[in-house]
Amino acid sequence: MSEKILSIPLQEKEIRELKVGDVVYLQGVIYTARDMAHLRMRDYLEEGKELPVSLEGAAIFHAGPVVKEKENSYDLVVIGPTTSIRMEPYSQMICEKGVRAIIGKGGMAEGSMKAFAKYGCVYLQAAPGCAVKIAEDVEEIENVYWLELGVPEAMWLLKTPKFGPLVVAMDSHGSSIYQNIKKEALEKIAIKYGE
Amino acid sequence: MMLDQKMLFDEVRELVTRSCLTISPDAQKLLEQALSKETNETAQSMLKTMLENLKLAQEKNKPVCQSPGFPTVYISFGNTTLPGNIKEAFQTALVEATKAGLMRPSIVHPLTRKNSGDNSGPGVPNFEFDYNPGQDYLEMIISFKGCGAELGNYMEIFTTVKLGKDLAGLKKKIVETIVNAGGKPCPPFVVGIGIGGQMDVACKLSRKAVSTRRWDDENPDELYGSLEKELLEQINSLGIGAAGTGGDTTALAVKIEGASTHTAIAPVAINFHCWPARRAGIRLYPDGKKEIIF
Repeated sequence: MSEKILSIPLQEKEIRELKVGDVVYLQGVIYTARDMAHLRMRDYLEEGKELPVSLEGAAIFHAGPVVKEKENSYDLVVIGPTTSIRMEPYSQMICEKGVRAIIGKGGMAEGSMKAFAKYGCVYLQAAPGCAVKIAEDVEEIENVYWLELGVPEAMWLLKTPKFGPLVVAMDSHGSSIYQNIKKEALEKIAIKYGE
Repeated sequence: MMLDQKMLFDEVRELVTRSCLTISPDAQKLLEQALSKETNETAQSMLKTMLENLKLAQEKNKPVCQSPGFPTVYISFGNTTLPGNIKEAFQTALVEATKAGLMRPSIVHPLTRKNSGDNSGPGVPNFEFDYNPGQDYLEMIISFKGCGAELGNYMEIFTTVKLGKDLAGLKKKIVETIVNAGGKPCPPFVVGIGIGGQMDVACKLSRKAVSTRRWDDENPDELYGSLEKELLEQINSLGIGAAGTGGDTTALAVKIEGASTHTAIAPVAINFHCWPARRAGIRLYPDGKKEIIF
């Protein structure tokens, strides 16, 4: 099991070297995006409008924070991963635009596996329900876009010196921890109860 | 007779605050037990992080989880313990907790998806009232249940034949539902199963089972109790583990609540509760005595 610190923007080569089970940390600026931010990214791309951030080498965090509003900025209170499968329809789109890492919980599906292999991207499992712990890794909220979507759904830019540990749960070689576990579990059920 | 309303509002505020900052002690105990017997290295690390997170939340007075989930409040009362303005008490407490940064504003219109900004909205929190004339206390339990966990939920109207011999059809469907949910409902989760009535009854019982019972309790019903144990053992043999990346403890508990149903049907609802058991409950007596449930 290797342990690495990777800097954002992430490089295709270092991402392709990662294998399921590796533990990584990220440093740099991470973007949060959930259902609504992904929907808006799609609308912008379809309309040919420029996104507020570059997705080249980006790490997207499926998450919405608790924040405290100050005069001209926001303080992060806590943040943790949301269930990633909801963002499955957008994998091809964001990987094509250069996203190299998706952080979330619970994993993603076949479409994401294909996009990860084609463009070079990984899925990183964060500790679920550990919002105080994860927020400790964030130095500051650098910026926020699309706040009109509501606090959870806005795109928050989180500056971090060392974010993790994160477990590589889906890699760019067609391997997924979730899929492997599911396959074995279904075999156990089939043995016990029949097909 | 109605309970003192100022005291009631104070108690409700305390329940809401407590359930943002901590998880119920039964859940914490089960997490610690899970860590002590875990053999998978990744799962050990995940469970340690979860326990560390709970400690940090208390030290720093911060919410355990970024998502408040969705709140349901269980109220039961008798003739001498009428709850009075309890709906307003909870609605106000939720908005106050949101303003205080204890809770993310996460409540939206179901179709327009517009966020109310303060966790208010029609039907929030959801209330379940239970009136027992002779009950000499008011019981209030608030339960914030995470909503990623909802994505794994399942409901089916079983029939006699679908339940199967020795309930094999039912058991198979339950473990398959667990496998399909995998890491999505923040394992190690608790599985609530509601059986009986019609669709609505089974669904409500499934939520009540995970929200109002201590996760380390024993079901007083012999059949449901033995099913809970058998299913828990089977679920934990699947290898899904904490966070869904492999391990020995996938579920902390299975809780079954039943009601009688019609001879043609057996409605079954399967309901996941993420490991952060953000809930708090109390019993209040007319003489001012209090009992903390969790």
